[in-house]
Formats: sequence, structure tokens, C-alpha cells
Amino acid sequence: MEILRAFAIGALFGIGLYQLLRRNVIRVAIGLVILSNAVNLFLLSVGAYDGIVEAYAKAVGQRSDALPQALILTAIVISMGGFSFMLALLYVIAVRYRTGDSDEVRGLSH
Amino acid sequence: MNEILVILPVLIPLTAAAVAMLLRPLPRAQAFWSFGAMLTACVASAYLLWTVAGAGQPVVFQMGGWPAPFGITLVADALSATLAFMSQLVFVFGFIYALGAKDKAVHHDTFYPLFLALATGLTGGMLTGDIFNLFVMVELVVISGIALTAMSDDRYGPEAAFKYFLISTVASFCLLFGIGLLYVGYGTLNMADLAQRISADPGQPVLPAAVVFLTVTFMIKSAAVPFHFWQPDFHTASPTPVSAMLSSVVVKIGVYGFLRLTTLLVPQVEWLNGALIVIGVAGVIFGGLGAIGTHNAKRMFAYSTLAQIGFIYVGVGWGTPLSLAAAVLFTFNHALIKSAMLMLSGYLASRAPVKTASFSVVRGMGKYAPAAGVLFFLGGMALAGVPPMNGFVSKLALFQSGVVAAQAGLIESEAFFWVPLALIGLSSVLTLVYVFRALMTVWWEPFQPRSPEEKVKPRGDSLLAPAGLVALCVALGVWGQPLVQWSQDVSAWMAQPQRYVRAVLGPEATWLR
Repeated sequence: MEILRAFAIGALFGIGLYQLLRRNVIRVAIGLVILSNAVNLFLLSVGAYDGIVEAYAKAVGQRSDALPQALILTAIVISMGGFSFMLALLYVIAVRYRTGDSDEVRGLSH
Repeated sequence: MNEILVILPVLIPLTAAAVAMLLRPLPRAQAFWSFGAMLTACVASAYLLWTVAGAGQPVVFQMGGWPAPFGITLVADALSATLAFMSQLVFVFGFIYALGAKDKAVHHDTFYPLFLALATGLTGGMLTGDIFNLFVMVELVVISGIALTAMSDDRYGPEAAFKYFLISTVASFCLLFGIGLLYVGYGTLNMADLAQRISADPGQPVLPAAVVFLTVTFMIKSAAVPFHFWQPDFHTASPTPVSAMLSSVVVKIGVYGFLRLTTLLVPQVEWLNGALIVIGVAGVIFGGLGAIGTHNAKRMFAYSTLAQIGFIYVGVGWGTPLSLAAAVLFTFNHALIKSAMLMLSGYLASRAPVKTASFSVVRGMGKYAPAAGVLFFLGGMALAGVPPMNGFVSKLALFQSGVVAAQAGLIESEAFFWVPLALIGLSSVLTLVYVFRALMTVWWEPFQPRSPEEKVKPRGDSLLAPAGLVALCVALGVWGQPLVQWSQDVSAWMAQPQRYVRAVLGPEATWLR
């Protein structure tokens, strides 16, 4: 189970970073969402601190730590606000620059 | 009773931002309400600093009455109270500039609430004693910062905001990941508790990884090399009062993070100090050369921030009591100088025929703005570190701390002292070069409009705020002694992290270092 979780987090990080480095700005946005989910999944598995089981374990009679879940909740709310703002920003950029290619959004590099 | 003081510098701007949202139909009332709230918050943080200095003890507030490792703690020790006061002082001048600014962005009805939210996030990040709360406050800074930049008069505002959003979101994920790693290893989020547990058990395998993630975060936040590429774009495109804040105090959240890391949380991680010296020296060189190569006054000062942050990181990296004092002093003085210089660049842009601070447009405009020229000259002297100004005091303190440490043989490899000393000496000359190039381009060359109908505008933004900041720079240069003395006190506090830990967790807290 732990190996599976570690690979899942690693794969999400890899996919997220790869999409973040693409030229299409929509893919960049999706990459950020995937990255944020990788971090959230990591935080969820953090519940396994010091003998306390993680939140989704089926062990009977053992407690899981509720704090990481509170952290994830906060992180989700914050990133939701940020992503919705970024989508609005992408709309402005698409209208103003008439492109979705981040290499062509370079008005400032002079 | 004193405990409530810690929350006031955070609570006042936050509440005022909410009220300012309701005041949107009344623009002038909203502006003056926001300015009044900021001034009150600044007075509150000044009183907080005075209390902390007088008591010689950190002032701690446990939110909701929860005892220390469980609830959110707000802590004002010498370092955080000083930096919070510095931020709010500069923000007061930012509001004064905004009140007299001609930008369309400043008259947008959400400008003042967002500006107050920026101040809240910054102060809260510096005063919090809980590492997850630091993440929340940093996010508040990021989101209000990008919103303020996206509404800029500069048509490239959204592009700059997008770039900053991408890089700073990655930074936030790094911070969150680092927090998660620390929680796996030590099971707490309270900074004092964390420091205590790390000192008891520094061999946890996750600790180096957590330190790397936090280092990357704070490097991105303070735009250190190699994560600086977003910063000149972002600081050039944002509205002048905002860019003056971003480039002077908002980058200081990274400096604060490194000071906390190296003196409270992980003082035993020695590679961090070496890394900070390398980062600092690289920033000093990149920033100086970048500033010489630019064609826009605002962009030039954004690159200059890169170099000045480099100076601070060299001081933090040396880690001797004198060099930490010099780093705090440098942080304070740089905030005043850099905000004044960016406001003056913005003033030039507001008078220019086309609203930009590009040298090709503002060349020779100085004939019509003599007062700004005097201020620019004084501020430039301060930035380069010429004697009667405060920049000289902070640079002298940094050099002296380096020489003293090298002579005392405080570190095995002397190259860590002499090489940075030589390079930052060279970079001071670079500062002089780019400041005086700007001064000569704008104030000595004749005005050459590109077409006959291009005229310098008769009125621009108000010069009150940069004049006040430059006056403070002169005052702190001439009467620098109290601030120098206080910076050494701050450094003495930083040398005793057990004071911080005991103030938060109670006197029986064990300290095993």
C-alpha cells in the first residue's frame, strides 16, 4: 500500500511538472491543478505519523490524525480561489494576445 | 493585556479591507478610510515593537485560547516585530503615494481592499508562530499581489501577473510539501515546538528534504538567483504604489524565512549557510549586471533589488552575530530606499508623454522635474552607499562584520569571507554606475520628443511619499546609531532561540541544544 501511494504521488508530480513546462497555457493551468493534487495526496498520507494510521486505512480500533485533513481542506480552498483567478487571467491573455502559446506571450521581454 | 497587541497589526488591515469593500460607492471615503486604517495599524505595530523592546521578552498571543502547540500562535519577538513595523511603515508611504497617484488602477474600486490585504498577508506572515499559518499568509500576499498587478495601467499587467502566479504557486506547493515533511518527521506545526523537537532529534531522514523545499520556497519568494526571472517583469508592470511595496517589503518575507530557518528552526544544518552565501554572491553579480543592461527605470530598480537581497543573504549566510545584525539593518534600510526609488521612477512615468519609465521616453525630462531630481540623487546615493545616507551605514556594517569574522577565523574556509567581500565591493561600484547613468540620462541630457506634439505633462503623481522616505533615509544615515544598536539587539535575540521557545511553550520547555 505504501509503495503504491508513493508511486502515485511521484507519478502525479511528474505529470504535473511536465504539463507545467508545456507551451500551451491551458496545459500549464492543468499541470498546476495536478501538482496541487499531488501535494494534497502527500499530505493525506502524512496522517501516518508516529504509529497513527493514515486516514483511509481500514485498521480497526486505530485513530488517524485529523490535522493533515484540515491542512488539505485549507489548501484546497486556497488553490480553488487561485485557479479561478488564473482562468480569468488566461481569458484576458487569450483575448489580448490572440494566442494560447506561452512563447508568444512575451510583451515584457524587451 | 499586552498579548492582544500582537494581533492588532494583522487584524486592523484585515477588518479595514472588509469595510473598504463596502465603501466602494464612495471612492474618496474608501481611500481615506484605508489610509487611516493603515496608519493605525502602523502605530499599533510601532507600539508592539516598543513593548517588545521594553519588556525584553517576546509577546505571545494564543488564538482562541488554545495552548501553544495545538492552536495558532502569534509571536512578536525582536525580529518579527522589527520586520512587521518596517513593512507597515513602508506601506503607510505606499498609501500616501496611492492617494496622490494619477493611475487608473488606483481609482479602481477594489484597489484599496486588495492593497490592505497585501499588507495583512505580509504582516501576518511575519508575526505568525505557526508554519501552516505562514503558508496561508503567503498565499494571501500572492493572490492580492497578482490581482493588483493584473489591474495595472500597463498593458502587460496580465502577462506579468500570469508569470508570477505560475512561479509563486509552485513555491507555495514547495512550502506545503516542506510543511508536510516536517509534520511527518516531528508531528507539530508550531515553530517553537518544531525548533525544540528538531534540536532534540536532528537525525530524522526527512529533515534535509524539508529544508531543501523550504529553501526553494523562500528563494522564489525573495526572487533570489536562479529564481529571479519573474521579478523584473512583475515589478515593472504593476502600478507604482504596488511595485514600490513588492520590491521593497514583500520580497522580505523570504529574508524573514531564511533568518528563522538559520537561527531558530535548523541552525545545525550547516550547508544552508554556505548555500546562502553562494546565492547571495550570485544575486549581487546578476542583479548589478542586469540593472546596467536595462532600458527602463522601474526595471532597473527591480534588478537592483536582486543585488541588494544578495547582500542580505551573504550577511545571513555568514551567520556571525555582527553579520546577522548587519543583515537586519540592511533589510530595514533597503526597504526605505528601494520604495522611494521606485516611487520616483513611477513619478517620472506619470509625467512622461507616454506612461512608461523607459529611458527612451523619459530621457531629458528632468528639466521639468527638478524636485524629483534632488530626491533621486539623494536616494541614489543611499542605494549606492555614499556616506551621509543610511545605505552607507548598512553596507559598512556588512563589510565590517565580514572583515571581523575573517580576522577572528570564525569559519574554516576563509574563501567564504574574502571572495564575497571582494565581489560585493565590486557590486557597490556597479550600483554607482547604474544609478548615475539613470540620473544623467534623465536630468542632464536635453529633452528630445520623438514627435512635436509630445509634451511633458504639467502634473503627475504626488511627490510627498518619496520625499518622506528620502527624508527618513537621510535621518537614519545621520542619526543611525539607535537603529544600529537595535539591530545588534535583534541579533542577540536571534542567538538565543530558547527565549522564543520558552515564551511560546512556557518556562518548563526543555531545550536540549
